[in-house]
Amino acid sequence: MRNRLRVLRAERGWSQAELAERLGVSRQTVNAIETEKYDPSLPLAFALARLFGQPIESIFEPA
Amino acid sequence: MPVQAHTSQPRGDRTLLAVGVAWFLAYVVARWVLEQPELPRALRLGAALLPVPLFAAFLVRFVRSLRGADELERRIHLEALAIAFPLTILLLQTLGLLERAVGLKFEDWSYGHVWAYLPLFYFIGLVVSRRRYA
Repeated sequence: MRNRLRVLRAERGWSQAELAERLGVSRQTVNAIETEKYDPSLPLAFALARLFGQPIESIFEPA
Repeated sequence: MPVQAHTSQPRGDRTLLAVGVAWFLAYVVARWVLEQPELPRALRLGAALLPVPLFAAFLVRFVRSLRGADELERRIHLEALAIAFPLTILLLQTLGLLERAVGLKFEDWSYGHVWAYLPLFYFIGLVVSRRRYA
């Protein structure tokens, strides 16, 4: 699944560690999602959508 | 609002390591005691069972640690198991066939030593899975 996580994070000037802290996950998890090696669970995807104030489908899209 | 626990749990990991080391030391002590045939049977029996409560403590800590991990860390451990389990089957199968083919000495390659390979297989699984998500 493709995603815009890196762009959204950069727009806010957050490091991966900062985003991980806000989400309550590890930096490795944020990195794995950004590099599209790992698709997050639905609860984590919703948490990302809430955090960035955008609908899930504007952050993630099928590859 | 965080959706789940963070993976960084240095205090918990230290406890897990300490219990794991205690379990291993108990096994070493048990092996040493069981090498002494002159010791009373009750003592030998106690030594043989010595690692069990420590292993139980290790298991509880390990499961707690996993439950506190985030979703990717749990997946990594699941994939490590998915690698370690077939490797164990392969080892057992191969040992079984070799036993029929050429005979195996207990001291060298008996089933009694297989358990010692399981942590190694799990570790290999962890390395492979971590590299995948690095």
